[in-house]
Amino acid sequence: MSFYLTYFIVAAGLFGFVALFTMFGVYAERKVSAFIQNRLGPMETGKYGTLQVLADMMKMAQKEIIIPAAADKILFVSAPVIIFIGVYLGFVALPWGPGLIPANINIGLYYVFAIISIETLGILMAGWGSNNKYSILGAMRSAAQIISYEIPAGFSIIAVVMVAQTLNLQDIAMQQGVLSVEQVKFFGFWDVTHIGGILSWNVFKAPHLLVAFVIYFIASLAESNRAPFDIPEAESELVAGFHTEFTGLQFALVFLAEYSMMFLVSMIGVILFLGAWNTPLPNIGAAKLADWTTGAGWGILWILIKSLGLVGMQMWIRWTLPRLRVDQLMNLSWKVLTPLAFLCMLISGIWRLWVM
Amino acid sequence: MSMIKILFYLMAFITLGSALVVAAGKNLVRSIFMFFVTLFGLAGLYVLALADFVAVTQIVIYVGGILVLILFAFMLSGKEALDKVEVQKNKFISLSNAPAFFLAGLFAVIMLNVIFKAHVDQLPWVIESVKAGNTMPIDGTGINKIGVNLMTRYLLPFEVISILLMVALVGAAHLSRREGANQV
Repeated sequence: MSFYLTYFIVAAGLFGFVALFTMFGVYAERKVSAFIQNRLGPMETGKYGTLQVLADMMKMAQKEIIIPAAADKILFVSAPVIIFIGVYLGFVALPWGPGLIPANINIGLYYVFAIISIETLGILMAGWGSNNKYSILGAMRSAAQIISYEIPAGFSIIAVVMVAQTLNLQDIAMQQGVLSVEQVKFFGFWDVTHIGGILSWNVFKAPHLLVAFVIYFIASLAESNRAPFDIPEAESELVAGFHTEFTGLQFALVFLAEYSMMFLVSMIGVILFLGAWNTPLPNIGAAKLADWTTGAGWGILWILIKSLGLVGMQMWIRWTLPRLRVDQLMNLSWKVLTPLAFLCMLISGIWRLWVM
Repeated sequence: MSMIKILFYLMAFITLGSALVVAAGKNLVRSIFMFFVTLFGLAGLYVLALADFVAVTQIVIYVGGILVLILFAFMLSGKEALDKVEVQKNKFISLSNAPAFFLAGLFAVIMLNVIFKAHVDQLPWVIESVKAGNTMPIDGTGINKIGVNLMTRYLLPFEVISILLMVALVGAAHLSRREGANQV
């Protein structure tokens, strides 16, 4: 029975982590945006505004949950829950360190890719359930965008999978460091199996995987509805898009889902391309930096640092670039990213057959 | 009763119950969202049958693709057309429904016959292949075998399906093209 108890504890721990990340994420986002726009950001609540998020949470918890009279009540109430659960379930298959993975599924990557698509359904549910034209426009834009960008994201992922030859996320992570059982080559010519570190990450295994990583990163921005792909909640056109009508705790849940999604896509990117929980420090001669800094505890540290770095990039991009128009968005996805991702997949096959 | 049996009955109940709600529900949108629950229950049943790949594929294709497409078609169609569909004036039991009842009854008879006469737990070919050792171990390598077989033994059907999808894609592109824009 303790077997099942562990699962519950892990699930609760992941939820706690996601909630904590959202709290810090909101604060960081406000401070980063303030820094980029040459403002101060929240300053009043607590020293440097550190208590701002707590104050916001208390405000949200107090708010009345208003259901519009014309809304479809069942869909309206369940939509935020489904949006969040869709993202939260994705964390099941992600590895945190050597031997540290909630569920070691042999098709982990495919599972994560599948389970993320539930979010689209939740967003459509929210849009239709609100019975508000802005909500439904936002939901339709969001669904169209997510479906379009799933294709380049999927093919850039396939490019990695073809090189890694497995869908098990823990195995993919294992191949990118000193613990690898098969030979790791830096750009296909330099054997770095025992050197490890940054040199054995997937982005440096083949030149086209760098391109694949950029494609994946752009597509992941679109999948988490972040600027410059935030037309689903374009505040100057659609009020707030699909979550216009949500208040209080429901809105908090939508927000939680958005920040969890940011972390989830960053973490998948890190696992697939940036060495997962492997250390960036290589072994240099007698200084076995990679061997010293590889382990369960180190793994959590490295993957957190890398994922938070990618999340930081997402925030940086959000406050730097203007929003894309719908037609530009579709052009970018279908005419630029998709052919490039196909090309990456093709090169991956050739690379695996003849170079590796 | 073991845990797996309890889970099986739970999944089967969810699948059948939600499917009934989908069929009997008056509200079309809610039916579509209920269909999502049905598909998920079905995926759970696949997992219990040790077909993990099929279960995940079910979610990718049906939940992520087809269900969203159905919703798109629903939301893009006009309000009048939808109202006509949603209003069901006829009573459930009436003479005009007789052919439907007849067909459904026949189907039920056939299905019950199949279930009772097939003896699925002792099919001859299953017994033979177990005897001959022609089985796959459950060790998480199912997906590798599916991949290898799709690219070798079943390559022709695989390619034929891709051509079919290509034809559908070209057809859709042709239908949605603006008429008279590029005509000489």
